[in-house]
Amino acid sequence: MTVAEYPIVVNHISKSFRVYLDKGHTLKEMALFSRRRKFEDRKVIDDISFKVKKGEAIALIGHNGCGKSTTLKLLTKIMYPDTGTITMSGRVSSLIELGAGFHPDMSGRENIYINASIFGLTKREIDSRVDDIIAFSELQDYIDNPVRTYSSGMYMRLAFAVAINVNADILLVDEILAVGDANFQAKCYDKMRELKAAGTTIVLVTHDMGTVKAFCNRAIWINKGVIAAEGKSGDIVDTYLEYMNELRMDNINEQAREDENNIIAKKLQETLKKKEQQDLPGNNKLTMDPKAIHFGNQKAVIISCEILNSKGIVVKAIDSNENYSLRFTYTINEPVEELIFGMGIFTLEGLWIFGTNTQMSGLKVNVSGKSGGVITFKGEALKLSGKYILQCSIIEPDTTPCDYYNEYTRFDVLNSTREAGFIRYKTSWEITE
Amino acid sequence: MKTLKEIWAYREMIFSLVGRDLRGRYKGSVLGFAWTFLNPLLQLAVYTMVFSIILRNNIKDYYLYLFVALVPWIFFSSSVSGGAGCIRAQSGMITKIYFPREVIPISHVTSQFVNMLLSLIVVFAVVIISGKPINPIALLYLPLIMIIEYLLAIGITMLVSAITVYWRDVEYFMGIIVMAWQFATPVMYGIDQIPERLLKYFNLNPMTPVIVAYRSILYYGEVPEMNTLLSAVLFGLIMLFIGWTVFSKLKRHFAEEL
Repeated sequence: MTVAEYPIVVNHISKSFRVYLDKGHTLKEMALFSRRRKFEDRKVIDDISFKVKKGEAIALIGHNGCGKSTTLKLLTKIMYPDTGTITMSGRVSSLIELGAGFHPDMSGRENIYINASIFGLTKREIDSRVDDIIAFSELQDYIDNPVRTYSSGMYMRLAFAVAINVNADILLVDEILAVGDANFQAKCYDKMRELKAAGTTIVLVTHDMGTVKAFCNRAIWINKGVIAAEGKSGDIVDTYLEYMNELRMDNINEQAREDENNIIAKKLQETLKKKEQQDLPGNNKLTMDPKAIHFGNQKAVIISCEILNSKGIVVKAIDSNENYSLRFTYTINEPVEELIFGMGIFTLEGLWIFGTNTQMSGLKVNVSGKSGGVITFKGEALKLSGKYILQCSIIEPDTTPCDYYNEYTRFDVLNSTREAGFIRYKTSWEITE
Repeated sequence: MKTLKEIWAYREMIFSLVGRDLRGRYKGSVLGFAWTFLNPLLQLAVYTMVFSIILRNNIKDYYLYLFVALVPWIFFSSSVSGGAGCIRAQSGMITKIYFPREVIPISHVTSQFVNMLLSLIVVFAVVIISGKPINPIALLYLPLIMIIEYLLAIGITMLVSAITVYWRDVEYFMGIIVMAWQFATPVMYGIDQIPERLLKYFNLNPMTPVIVAYRSILYYGEVPEMNTLLSAVLFGLIMLFIGWTVFSKLKRHFAEEL
């Protein structure tokens, strides 16, 4: 196991930042308040170790603030770890800051020399590469114009062309491939693939999981400053996305529960108020304004319409692969024979995804003599992720609305695939040649 | 030693930063690069006017006497007072990309140094026109004293630029210090005008032997005294050592402080 086999060896590194709650920078503040200055040490990286093989591409993934960008900064030697060691062998190029040292008044060609020299290239090395750099940037016609006349896309193209043509042994990349048009991005990835094949070791920090799966051999998932998981990029990405989905679902449901409590309190007040009004003679008129939150003759009233996940728990977010149900709880104010319960799902733009009711499903709900009850609608998995609007209603058989909510609530459907479109259904691929 | 090797590997960066600074400085002005020569010439014109018409004194060719000391002083003072903020000014690069941090103060001082070289061309022209005797043997010592001053300026610039990262006040403080420093250095007057009892304090000033040496080479056309040269070398090396050591200690946390 020689060093060259592992160009990057990270050995038990830790890093804390001293966060000053109010930092005095001037002499007076330093002299007077030196003892009173409050700070706390925030541990950003806690004992991380890993090795990267020559020619391997690894991704550092994790949510914002997990420590992955700090790890990359430690690898570039912009910062130093508090404890532990990092050994890097070979020339390092970083695609973290593009266009370092560019002078707006100088020509593209002059700036190539300045920028490349910051990567530690000698004049001779730059001379031999300058044509490749210009060709890669596709700026042949503008290369002798001052950089200030460039568009931001041209600027980034030039900067990227320099950084990637440094011929580094180790390439550190931080979420920068979001620049340039699609063609140029594709070109950048092609170039990186080429470098990888030629034995360049690549460390990538990105939120684009598709790239991680497609481009990297290995992924390291950093969470709260420690390595949460490490392994084949596909596996790690799946685990990570699953975790993030769960986290999001938990957050949404937590929020929903809070909202729900508020809504219940509000509803209770509303009902009490209505009861008072109804008790007054001659005040028993219909609320038929469709713009109201709900409208209808109030012969039967929806008390709640809850969304339940496959485990029967009341939620505001469901997984796209799980079956769900809607539980209507209703009361009857005036005797009626039969009621029709309906539901509908809309996108936020108002597009009707699906709707049905008990009558359409061939169910007759006889309520004569009842004062209320519970009825549950059961649906199969919704398949496609997104935010949806739930509509629910009780109507009489002659279609007179009793209680009609155009928007009862909103809910989320989450999934971990990146498939796009309007519907999602079972598909497969077959290699035929 | 490792750092030195690394700085050597990044020499092209120093060249291009110096080039960027020199060429970028007068970009957009009508006279452009000519300002590099025009600036010292116009200064000389002002000094000549003031000291030959208004403030007359009995030093022969005082304008030249002053000028041969003022040009190296300006190199030193602009290195040090401008250099205090040089790390801060490049915070964008420091926080985003790795390179040996020493490159920044070195390029700053080098760029001032190149400016002095260009000004010295004007000095030589004036010396020749004024008919002063030029001593070729004395001139051999000029590069030596220039290198000593260069190392001294690098040492002090490294020291103040690194401290300024943590303590911004130093940058403003240096403006005043450098002004006072000029009066404590025999730039506008000669070392022979200093009272005997104060001389030992003046000799603690690292810039005193440097300026004295410049003047004896360029104005008197004499080889500088061995004492002067030795103390200049000593001061230069001590300051470089202090600056270098402090800088190496402080540079590890630059990116976090900026």
